[in-house]
Amino acid sequence: MTEGTPPRTEPTSPTAAPIPPAAAAGPTPPERRRVGVFICQCGGNISDFVDTEKVRQEVSKDPSVVTAEVHMFACSDAGQQCIVKAIQDKQLDGIVVASCSPKLHTTTFRNAAQRAGLNPYEYTQANIREQCSWAHTHDREAATEKALTIAEAAVAHTVGSRPLERLRTETTPHALVLGAGVAGLRAALALSDMGISVHLVERAATAGGQVARWARLFPNDRSGPELVARLLEEVRTRQNVVLFTGAEIVAKDGHIGDFSVQVRTADGSVVPLRVGAIVVTTGYEPYTPAPGEYGYGTEGVVTLPEFEELLGGGDGPLTYHGRPVRTVSYVYCVGSRADPEAGTGRTYCSRYCCSATSYAAVRVHARDPAVRQYHLFRDVRTYGKYETLYERSLKGGSLYLHFTEEAPPTVTKEDGHLLVRVRDLLTGGETVEIPSDLVVLVTGMVPRENAHLTEVLKLPIGKEGFYNEIHQKLRPVETVVDGVFVAGTAQGPKNVAESVASALAATSKTAGLLLKGYVDLEPLVARVDADACTWCGACLAACPYGAVEEVEHGAKHIAHVSPILCKGEGACVPECAAQAIDVEGYTNEQVRSMIDALAEE
Amino acid sequence: MRVDPTLRQALGDGNGFDASSCLNCGSCTALCPLGLELFPRKLFRYALLGARDKLVENTDTVYSCLLCKMCEENCPAGVHITDNVRALRVYLGREVFHLGPRGV
Repeated sequence: MTEGTPPRTEPTSPTAAPIPPAAAAGPTPPERRRVGVFICQCGGNISDFVDTEKVRQEVSKDPSVVTAEVHMFACSDAGQQCIVKAIQDKQLDGIVVASCSPKLHTTTFRNAAQRAGLNPYEYTQANIREQCSWAHTHDREAATEKALTIAEAAVAHTVGSRPLERLRTETTPHALVLGAGVAGLRAALALSDMGISVHLVERAATAGGQVARWARLFPNDRSGPELVARLLEEVRTRQNVVLFTGAEIVAKDGHIGDFSVQVRTADGSVVPLRVGAIVVTTGYEPYTPAPGEYGYGTEGVVTLPEFEELLGGGDGPLTYHGRPVRTVSYVYCVGSRADPEAGTGRTYCSRYCCSATSYAAVRVHARDPAVRQYHLFRDVRTYGKYETLYERSLKGGSLYLHFTEEAPPTVTKEDGHLLVRVRDLLTGGETVEIPSDLVVLVTGMVPRENAHLTEVLKLPIGKEGFYNEIHQKLRPVETVVDGVFVAGTAQGPKNVAESVASALAATSKTAGLLLKGYVDLEPLVARVDADACTWCGACLAACPYGAVEEVEHGAKHIAHVSPILCKGEGACVPECAAQAIDVEGYTNEQVRSMIDALAEE
Repeated sequence: MRVDPTLRQALGDGNGFDASSCLNCGSCTALCPLGLELFPRKLFRYALLGARDKLVENTDTVYSCLLCKMCEENCPAGVHITDNVRALRVYLGREVFHLGPRGV
């Protein structure tokens, strides 16, 4: 909170379900808990190295443990049914499943608990596989002892647990799409189709992004400018889509389902917007070779996008600077698939360039069959249906020469003519010289310079410099920032079809969030003991999510944690000298009792 | 070796000699009952790149082919290998042995 801003009064009715005051929290110690422990053999993954029966016997001795069972696969339907039955038959008020990593099956067993009528947050998963059996395959006795200790600590955690409810917050049915390239335009239309109003913000003066620069797109000869024009025309007919060009997002506040963003428009004014979700489709930048890289800077040496401009949508023999082009050499993988040791970060394949180059060669051949084309490649990756482009280029007389990363081709100018030299593996490693009229450097995609946006949205960046999704396979358009999705080439190299597919995936995730009208969040968040808090500001400084603010509480000022913004990370807890902050599910008391259980001889 | 596109024209590219769809997999060389290392993949490579000298140097190899079609039957890219060998012979007959334009 900036100086001079008066602290607001403590909210009486927070947006989320009220968090009970700290005094009422915590377990009710007088009554003995009724905990059930379920030990999983994981079909031998655990039981081959841990004596699960011994763990069962030993853990049963804990006075809070009412029942302990061993199962072949706790996560199987049969295993889950046994857990549900035990909870109901033995009237358990807390469970522990000693099995694999909580990353795998937390939701599985929470749901099982819920089906049995038990609060899902009164369940603890003890990891005795990744952190025990798999790590200690050489010593069964010690592994068994460790598994028991881990299970006992989990029992201590469950004993200290209390029922929690998921936090519900309402969502605003508006979306913000950042970047009006082909992905952003397509996303805006799809959201509009589903009745979600869209603010489409483009930093450049015109919409269309990179696709607007490509006269022809593989595989079916579509014109980039026409494709963009068609999408733009459609956008203009929509009542619920507003396009801002020459505009930029300057600030973001709020949380999933209800963000407040500020957009600086072309005329310099700042427009405040309220949106429920943000789709980032900010695109890529074509790689620009360094001066001298494969002769770049010399007349006649061009990048793939520059060649594309030269080629355009025209027909008839190809000329460059007024001279006819008889021989074209293509050097592949320029700026892509770099040696990790070089530290450029561009170790990835840019995906579209092999297909785009084969396609360009097919068009060159169609315009003038007499043109000789030499492709100097490291690997040809015209994957999927684009393989036919490669075949068509071969049939048109294109010759492919294979070089390795260790022996890249050279491009020089001799007697005023471009000369390409390459060690061709397909001719037994002989050096082949190609006098060329035009050398095309097949350049890939690099991440866009977007430091300010990255800072405003707090988006994670991968080691290649593109925005990162949560899971490449299973959660390909979600980011770790709830309510912010990423699509298109902002996330990594893609061709147009793939960009559009990911944009539509992001819109379906956005619609899934916004059309429901609300979102339920994890209740494992920090809470402040108003009586103990003396407001020193240490928690505010420690919180990376901006979840803490200073509020008036009676005669004093205290910290207030927004349960929606809080991620339960716990950075504030050790900072609090008054020990006034606890994280639900990981209270100081729970952690202390777990340490006691782990340290017990 | 410097590329020379005129050789492909001299060989009758697309009509007589046509190895444009060759994928350089090497099945032909592996299957050749004569076991000639050069044959026929690398020979065609020289022809495509325009290495006239290399072709002439290997005249004996071109003529040792049995035209058994073992390679052609198994070529995944459907290259008409024996037709190509014949086209090379016509060319070498002209260049090396100074025979008439249609061979003997």
